Amino acid sequence: MSEKSAVLEMIYRNMYIAVLVILAVMLFVCLIRAVRGPRVADRIVAVNMMGTMVMVMIAVLSLLLKEGFLVDICLIYAMVSFLAVVVISMVYMGVYAERAQRRRQKYPQGHNREADRAGMQGTEPEKGESANGNS
Amino acid sequence: MSRLKPQDEYEKTGAFHFFRWLSGSKDPYLGEVELRPQKRVETPVDTILDRMDEQQMIREKVYDVSHNRKLAVFHRVYVVAAILFCIALVGILLYTVSWLPRTGNPSNPDNNIVSQRYIERGLQETGAVNIVSGMILTYRAFDTFGETNVLFIATCCVMILLMLDEAILKKLDAGSGDRHFEPKNDQILQGTAFVLCPIIFIFGIYIILNGHISPGGGFSGGAILGAGLILYASAFGFGKTRRFFDEHIYKIAKITALCMYGIIGSYFYITGANGIENHIPLGQPGHILSGGIILPIDICVGLEVACTMYAFYALFRRGGL
Amino acid sequence: MEILEWIRLIVGGALLLCGLIIFLIELYGVFHLKYVLNRMHAAAMGDTLGISFSLVGLMVFSGLNFTTLKMMLIVIFLWFASPVSSHLLARLEVVTNENLENHCQNYAELAELEKELNREKEDEQTGGQEA
Repeated sequence: MSEKSAVLEMIYRNMYIAVLVILAVMLFVCLIRAVRGPRVADRIVAVNMMGTMVMVMIAVLSLLLKEGFLVDICLIYAMVSFLAVVVISMVYMGVYAERAQRRRQKYPQGHNREADRAGMQGTEPEKGESANGNS
Repeated sequence: MSRLKPQDEYEKTGAFHFFRWLSGSKDPYLGEVELRPQKRVETPVDTILDRMDEQQMIREKVYDVSHNRKLAVFHRVYVVAAILFCIALVGILLYTVSWLPRTGNPSNPDNNIVSQRYIERGLQETGAVNIVSGMILTYRAFDTFGETNVLFIATCCVMILLMLDEAILKKLDAGSGDRHFEPKNDQILQGTAFVLCPIIFIFGIYIILNGHISPGGGFSGGAILGAGLILYASAFGFGKTRRFFDEHIYKIAKITALCMYGIIGSYFYITGANGIENHIPLGQPGHILSGGIILPIDICVGLEVACTMYAFYALFRRGGL
Repeated sequence: MEILEWIRLIVGGALLLCGLIIFLIELYGVFHLKYVLNRMHAAAMGDTLGISFSLVGLMVFSGLNFTTLKMMLIVIFLWFASPVSSHLLARLEVVTNENLENHCQNYAELAELEKELNREKEDEQTGGQEA
């Protein structure tokens, strides 16, 4: 009986380690996507995927090491990655809209000089106040 | 004003001039020296546009990889060198780690009498099941007090640098601010935050209150509380957050937490250093109300960390709490 | 009892394997598709289903205890959070991309889309009646 449970233990252990290795390889592939992704949204999607895989890895580790508290860390990780996506996308949208408006003030209708002159007389965008948002 | 001379005569003396100069009540050059306002240089619009065009042209020329062969080669070499440098750094670090002693070896240098005492008598002396909490909040409570002070001072510095005036803040909130461009009132995000925020807050409070029983404690629980506040602020806007967490409440929470920690900690240091008996009951290990000073200090640290996280976010985003 | 243990191992292992395969499919989709809105489709669906499968498998391994409850909490949290983050990312892409028309058809007015859909539906209905 004890021999059989020892066999089970060994199978569990090897399976957990195999799953961890596979997930690590997939994590690396995700990282390639995050580096190569042409747009910002691509990178955030890839990082989000990496977060999900890391969550599974932490859960597997908690069973491998028989430490239940690691699942708490997993929960916190899920929370923080969600928060990161929310905050980054909101900030990026705000910064992009602000830049677009400034560009529209500078070059209305595709670099037309006559139109530029009309635009130059208008209000200059305030630089001091916008420094907060970009940082 | 016991002066022998009358006021008119006193005003002619040198002492009067000296003291007037000292107090700075009169500008000596005002009206005496001719100051002509500088003539404003009017830059014609054409010149400004020419300059902008030139800058654009220079930028295009500098980053023109397809025609400039040297630049293309440099870019290639730069990327390859960066990757090689990273790999070399990782290799050096891994090589160093491989020379470290294995974890759990009884002959490791960190396995000395201090850790032995902490592990053997920690439960009995501090009343905390979680030895790490017991260590950092009782044996090393002075260190943790320093860390909490560092958090406080960091927030103060960020406030000094980034805090805006009330008038400017009001103008920004009315419109034309940074957050003017951001999408507001995203209904899907608001619905999710409506469900998730209370759960996150309860989870944070659970982690803070269970700091001496299970892993966690003030720092991690406070971070979760701060994350919940940030989620609420980004979903519903700062206007709604200010209804329950404005600058006044922030000041009260932060300073009360720090002072409470100081008072409890000093009582503990004094009794501990002089060998006086400590009158805080340790309670039964494993219960919520146990562990002596660990639970109150955990609450103080948690408040401090939550306030710090939210204040950093709010100051960088909005310029005020 | 021994048999029960073996059954648990097999069921949990199958679920965990399912999760890993779904992650693999997700990776394939992210590299195969050409535009970020399409990639997001693969990534978000793979995330939700993959982590549910893997964590249900791990729950079967760990049995009935507090860890299982926490894992269930993670799954429920992700079911809440993952669609919202996908929504925000899609919104980010739509707002910041200037050449969106190259990739997808853009209906500025929702009424326009509804009109078109209604027309299609009417066509189908009339076609069905004639046939």
